[in-house]
Amino acid sequence: MTGGARWVARYGVGIALAALVLAGAVAVPGFFTRENLTTVLLHVSINAILALGMTFVIVTAGIDLSVGSVLALAGVLAAATLTSGPVLDTVGVPGATVAAIVVGIGLGMAAGALNGAVIAWLGVAPFMVTLAGMTIARGLARLFTGGVPIGFPARDDPRFDAKVAALDALNVLGGGRIPVPGLPRGFPVPALVMIVLAVAAAFVLTRTRFGRYVYAVGGNEEAARLAGVPVRAVKLAVYAIAGACAGLAGVLLVGQLRSGGPDAGMLYELNAIAAAVIGGASLFGGIGTAAGALVGALLIGVLNNALDLLGVQSFWQEIVKGGIILLAVLFDVWTKRGMRRA
Amino acid sequence: MFALEDITKRYPGVTALAGVHLALAPGRVHGLVGENGAGKSTLLRILAGAAQANEGRILLDGHPVRFPSPRQALEAGITVIYQELALIPELEADANLFLGMEHGRYGLLDRGAMRDAARETLARLGLTLPAPGVPVRSLSVARQQLVELGRALVRNARVIALDEPTATLTPGEVAHLFAQVRALRDAGSAIVFVSHRLDEVRAIADDLTVLRDGRAVWTGRAADVDDAALIRLMVGRDVEYARQPAARAAAAEPLLVVRGLSREPAFRNVDLTLHAGEIVALAGLVGAGRTEVARCLAGVDRPTAGTLTLDGRDYAPASPRAAVFRGVVYLPEDRKRDGLVLGLRVRENVTLPVLGRWSRAGVVRSGDERAAAADATARVQLRPPDIERETRTLSGGNQQKVVMARALLAEARVLIVDEPTRGVDVGVKTELHRRIRMLADEGRAVLLISSELPEVLALADRIIVMREGRVTGTLAAAGATPEAIMTLAVAA
Repeated sequence: MTGGARWVARYGVGIALAALVLAGAVAVPGFFTRENLTTVLLHVSINAILALGMTFVIVTAGIDLSVGSVLALAGVLAAATLTSGPVLDTVGVPGATVAAIVVGIGLGMAAGALNGAVIAWLGVAPFMVTLAGMTIARGLARLFTGGVPIGFPARDDPRFDAKVAALDALNVLGGGRIPVPGLPRGFPVPALVMIVLAVAAAFVLTRTRFGRYVYAVGGNEEAARLAGVPVRAVKLAVYAIAGACAGLAGVLLVGQLRSGGPDAGMLYELNAIAAAVIGGASLFGGIGTAAGALVGALLIGVLNNALDLLGVQSFWQEIVKGGIILLAVLFDVWTKRGMRRA
Repeated sequence: MFALEDITKRYPGVTALAGVHLALAPGRVHGLVGENGAGKSTLLRILAGAAQANEGRILLDGHPVRFPSPRQALEAGITVIYQELALIPELEADANLFLGMEHGRYGLLDRGAMRDAARETLARLGLTLPAPGVPVRSLSVARQQLVELGRALVRNARVIALDEPTATLTPGEVAHLFAQVRALRDAGSAIVFVSHRLDEVRAIADDLTVLRDGRAVWTGRAADVDDAALIRLMVGRDVEYARQPAARAAAAEPLLVVRGLSREPAFRNVDLTLHAGEIVALAGLVGAGRTEVARCLAGVDRPTAGTLTLDGRDYAPASPRAAVFRGVVYLPEDRKRDGLVLGLRVRENVTLPVLGRWSRAGVVRSGDERAAAADATARVQLRPPDIERETRTLSGGNQQKVVMARALLAEARVLIVDEPTRGVDVGVKTELHRRIRMLADEGRAVLLISSELPEVLALADRIIVMREGRVTGTLAAAGATPEAIMTLAVAA
């Protein structure tokens, strides 16, 4: 691949995002305002968090279809913990809030680890394992809730005040705003979580031994094994990370909506895959970055927002999004082919 | 210092190694030679912990050790550099050098320290560390190989094994590699050098072991044998297949004439002539360019130069389909990957390329199709003669017969068979040989590619030997010996 092609491969999506924002600023009334741009960040955050976790998986040449359902399962369990009488009675509102966060993320991580263990030790294709995981997690979420969202207490609930207080506490995480000078409504907390997570993911992928192993496993699994890389443990870990991200996203969504529903997160796994791939991650493995996942999610978010403001039907938005995914994948194939010629 | 004792390794249906001894000493290069399939690669995999022996033991400084996975072998100071380089293509040179033993603490990478150490290590091998951000896949093969050698240095390897390291290097690069190998040897490493280029092995090795059919048939000082003796040791064998003589003379008129065929860099300037009714063998070692020639004849790849005529008319197939249309059919080496759809029934596989023959408006007349498939499979004596079986459930030999049945139906005039009996039980081989001879006796020209000398000798009417992309000689079947073929295939 020529230096130019590599440059485009690395920065192409960023440039596309910048161009899109610029075009929006010029052509879309109400787009380039501080208020609207913060709203985009808020809307993007859940998908971006899922995409960051998904990137770890995709870099190992895997895929995780279960994250949307795991998000829902983690969400309902977090909501149940948050509004559970015994929990509130023993640890109070702050304790229940922490417990809900821990339960949500922990459940996600455990579900991911289970996916990873089956993939790594039994050698089953990630697509099938996580497809099964997707169905099972969704079913468990519905079974657990009886199909009804868990959240706001009934008027006659003896712990009404405590439950509302707990939901409000978690809402700070899921829907809160941090006062920032110049932003009348402040900066959304989930967007901050997203940014912190992106920085952390970038750090892990580029600066840690584990991150190095993630690229090694995806780049050439057999070579990694021969070099002494613990391939199975790495695989287990990337699915656990994707699951933990799904759990965190579930908790944030519960906080935002003040309830946990069993049907939350439908098709979110596909949006997360789309964001990662648009951001340059290769489904062939070995390639992908945290920054790319973030930029990919932002690109989808900015596009949806601009089309919304222009009053374009949501049907068209879907078509445009599909086209962009196709372009990104074609681009991946194209750079791969250039590589083989080199 | 390091020894493999009595190593036996069995795979289903094959004994890859039978009671092999190999003793390595620090400061010496031990050459390992043998034909394809002699067991060299299996021995290296056991050395590296990538495969485990069924019997025998590994001694390190006199103590028995076990390598259940590559990690333990690496920790014991053994580094194997495979022919298929084991680098991570997307990672940088320094990342590859330290893969599995990164510098740093608490899981954090100390990238500065690694770059400094990488620069120093590669400098010892006469290589400059590429700029940051350059993935190893953009380096030349020779440089990638030096990066792998650098890995052995980083690991302070006491035993370094190189598998066919010179296969893709230019003479200048080979000289550089040899200088590095000698430096490592003089620094006290024990080196294993695997190659089928005898001149090179003799240039670099102090000691030699010859493997043949999974046995170490000779070990001694490299200075004590000459090429002729080595070749005798490599090819002398117990296996011999019954000669399949032609039932009738080949046609006088050439059918396929190939002149100056080249596809750089795989092969260059290949001449060959096929007559209807004869079997011509393309002999040589794996990597000599034989399959690449076949792929050009079959329209899979495009040659870079040369002319082909079929039946006196120009022949320049643009696709395998165009080749089949002219009656040139290629039965590829890897039947599982390129040949058969294992999930289909035998009948469906046999009729796949010519299904149009029994179709009208896209609808297959199943009775006719079944009759044709049954006839073709009967002629190759498929066992059991059940054309409705799933192809996956057949043995390797019978899968190969399915491929041949397909060739029968395809009305091939030129049939190219690439390693037709690989992975097939010895008993079935002779039967496949008979079928191949039958195909020729029916008036087809057969080009046989085989790395197994007894097979070449059992079948071929003429033998063309290739080495490193060039034809090095042509032998008539009468008077051809394994030694003569091997000499053309390996000697400079």
